[in-house]
Amino acid sequence: MLYAHARSSIVRLCLCVLLTVFLLLIHPSAMLRAQPVESLSTGVIPTMGINDVTEGTLLFKTNQLGRYTPAPILKTDVQIAVTGIIARATVRQEFTNPSEKKGDWLEGLYVFPLPETAAVDHLRMHVGDRIIEGHIKERAEAKKVYEKAKQEGKRTSLVEQERPNIFTTSVANIGPGERIIVEIEYQETIRYDQGKFQHRFPMVVGQRYIPGTPVIVEEHDPKGSGTMLDTDRVPDASRITPPVQKPGQWPINPVSLSLSLTPGFPVAKVESVFHPIIVIPDPDGGYQISLKKDAVPADRDFQLTWSPAASKEPTATVFTEQRNGETFAVLMLVPPTQQNDAAPRMPRDLTFVIDTSGSMAGPSIEQAKASLAAALTRLTTQDRFNVIQFNNTVRSLFSSPQPVTTAAMRKGIRYVEGLTADGGTDMLPALRQALKSSQDITRLQQIILITDGQVGNEDELFELLHHRLGARRVFTIGIGSTPNSHLMRKTAEFGRGTFTYVGNVSEVKETLDALFKKLEHPVLSDIQLDRAGWTALEHYPSRIADLYEGEPIVLAAKATSIPEQALLQGHMGAQPWSLPVSMKHTTTRDGLSVYWARQKISALMDEIFTGTDEETVRKGVLDVALAHHLVSKYTSLIAVDVTPARPTGKLETDQTQGTRSAEAQDSTAMAELPKTGTNGAIQLLFGLLLLATAAILWRVRRVTE
Amino acid sequence: MTVQRIKTKVLTGLGLALVLIGLWQTGSGAWIYIKAQLAQVLLQRAWAGTLAGQQDVKPWPWADTWPIARLVVPSLGIDQIVLEGAYGRTLAFGPGHAESTGPLEGSYTIILTGHRDTHFRFLEKLQAGETILIQARTGVWHRFAVRDRQIVDSRTAIISTQEDKRHLILVTCYPFHPIVPGGPLRYTVFAEIVERMAED
Repeated sequence: MLYAHARSSIVRLCLCVLLTVFLLLIHPSAMLRAQPVESLSTGVIPTMGINDVTEGTLLFKTNQLGRYTPAPILKTDVQIAVTGIIARATVRQEFTNPSEKKGDWLEGLYVFPLPETAAVDHLRMHVGDRIIEGHIKERAEAKKVYEKAKQEGKRTSLVEQERPNIFTTSVANIGPGERIIVEIEYQETIRYDQGKFQHRFPMVVGQRYIPGTPVIVEEHDPKGSGTMLDTDRVPDASRITPPVQKPGQWPINPVSLSLSLTPGFPVAKVESVFHPIIVIPDPDGGYQISLKKDAVPADRDFQLTWSPAASKEPTATVFTEQRNGETFAVLMLVPPTQQNDAAPRMPRDLTFVIDTSGSMAGPSIEQAKASLAAALTRLTTQDRFNVIQFNNTVRSLFSSPQPVTTAAMRKGIRYVEGLTADGGTDMLPALRQALKSSQDITRLQQIILITDGQVGNEDELFELLHHRLGARRVFTIGIGSTPNSHLMRKTAEFGRGTFTYVGNVSEVKETLDALFKKLEHPVLSDIQLDRAGWTALEHYPSRIADLYEGEPIVLAAKATSIPEQALLQGHMGAQPWSLPVSMKHTTTRDGLSVYWARQKISALMDEIFTGTDEETVRKGVLDVALAHHLVSKYTSLIAVDVTPARPTGKLETDQTQGTRSAEAQDSTAMAELPKTGTNGAIQLLFGLLLLATAAILWRVRRVTE
Repeated sequence: MTVQRIKTKVLTGLGLALVLIGLWQTGSGAWIYIKAQLAQVLLQRAWAGTLAGQQDVKPWPWADTWPIARLVVPSLGIDQIVLEGAYGRTLAFGPGHAESTGPLEGSYTIILTGHRDTHFRFLEKLQAGETILIQARTGVWHRFAVRDRQIVDSRTAIISTQEDKRHLILVTCYPFHPIVPGGPLRYTVFAEIVERMAED
């Protein structure tokens, strides 16, 4: 009886199971509804393609290939302290992971522009109440520490020097809704030009033209996260093209800026070119400067200028710093503000090389044409000239510099007027053509390069200049709101000339008239520092450039002992010249050792273009960078938090979607993968338990009947 | 008699309810396994179509995924079709390819995930040195050899996919046999590319 009951129960149960399975099978939607909890929830934040990314911001990678979400940057605070020619800045950036979804741990990449001579030496991160200090480590080691910390779920920040004027910060493991503040300190050298000291804080990165054809190596991911692919001529293009901000596009990156100025000499006036400022004089001769508006969008460079009182002779200023038993000195040779016009002129060969690429279109090319026309009118009959224009191709007015005649001049002016901006930028062939002209020691051979400098193949340019310069001098003129100042400065340095920056249309005539005037007369040449009295003297630049009107010469020296008086020697025209500089009562400043170390690293790096093998250079740079706590090509600044950032004990099942693109990713967080256990077993067990209970009940019922 | 009748009625009702819930639970539990097996049959058909050159062949008309690879482990007799996307809804039918790890046809390191109690149960038995074959949509077979197996915590672990060599990483839940699903641990099998073979 009981057995029969049990048997019939089992038979019924089996029938029911089969029926249910059949019903589910013919009902298609049941398949999709089977595991609704695990299904994907799509985010509502709009994504942007890599080509739409135009603002210098923190980017989060998404699961879609090549799509990114910009993180809201809350703000950037900049504090600058200027002492003499050295500026020390603290940049504080605040950003957030806007996601409120639990488990949305993201890795951010922030690209930010810094002044071209900037040297980052300190990093602090504020995470909640904690402050984490950064350390300088060899680049590969820093990367290792960073990856390890990331694997352990810790917050880390890595500042890398991509190019001297572009820095990137990777921030791993930003928790949902979390705010992270990255603070960096850097030091830079103040520019002095046209009788003015000039400090520029770049707030927008220009889009660079990368020559060559894009290289897509099938075996590798693009190395960086920039907006351009690597090309055959600029192998790190994908790392150096940062996202650029479009004017008026939201979200902006508001910047607040304050500056404390201690020039070390009486100042004639202090001016800000693009932003309204408030200037409060200090009793000790310094100034406190702040922006009139508390926060401004990052779309124009901040530019501050101040000028010293007038003088008729070259003057020298010296600052010193004692550090670890060594003396670091920065010597500044300032040309007179008023030039003696009676000096005889040397005949000159002038070659104007003008950039007519698409990036120059608009005011830039108009400025360049105006400056060229101005330059041509200053030529005399003893001079020779040529005009070379370049975009992707090179065209020139004459094949070599021609004597100034009415016909040649008319031709030249017509040629300049007809210049239009279009196409890419390929500076190299143009410069090569300019350096082809015959050498003549009785003439000043000057090449004047006018460009917005948005070009990436710097190494090739420098190598060419090193090998082909001869007695020529190359002067660079940077036009537009964001010329690649690093390239321009270095080109001028290799070309033994000077770099001039023109940021405002209204300044063009004034600035260039002064430049062309100064090119007619070098103030001092063959300048040397007398080594008498110095012990273990090491100074940079080791070969001192000519002194022109409106451009000081800055010399960074290190020695174990210094003389009471330093002696500068050289030639003024054909006459020998010398100037003693007292070292006894100099003002002691901080940051001079950093300045010297930076110059030394720069000099070491330049040796690569002059044939020193990279390993030797690397070792030299490492020694200096580690001793002076500097970021360089071979060292990184890294900070690692000691507390695990991820919560423990909770399973992040709601994050079923990868948050990275394949394009630039190097890792996948496990938490991004779905859970891989099913409810199958537990459901089966539970169901069978219920059926068994039902069977027992059935029996109980029969018994009670 | 009346009391007896009421008692019987209550018991019948309770019994029926238990039977229904029991059947529902057993059914849906069993369904997970049946679906896993059944889907693979349909997927094998779709895979044949894919190899024949059709694009993104859907294994059944309402599917929102498609087969992208065939995973074969000769030593364990495993032959499965891998689906695009590693989401709960695709994993029910077959192992899923984490889209974030790049296309299978490229040279990227790829991550496949599967349920520990259906498709990827075999990971438990997979030994170092064993061969895993992956057939891409192009028909090309890639041979991987198991190098390493690890148990990791999904809350903190990061899989590095930037290596010199291409890797295949299989991920499933760990431990393999608990009744209750969920838990932070994951079992990962790292396999390294050995060779790329021509179409067979």
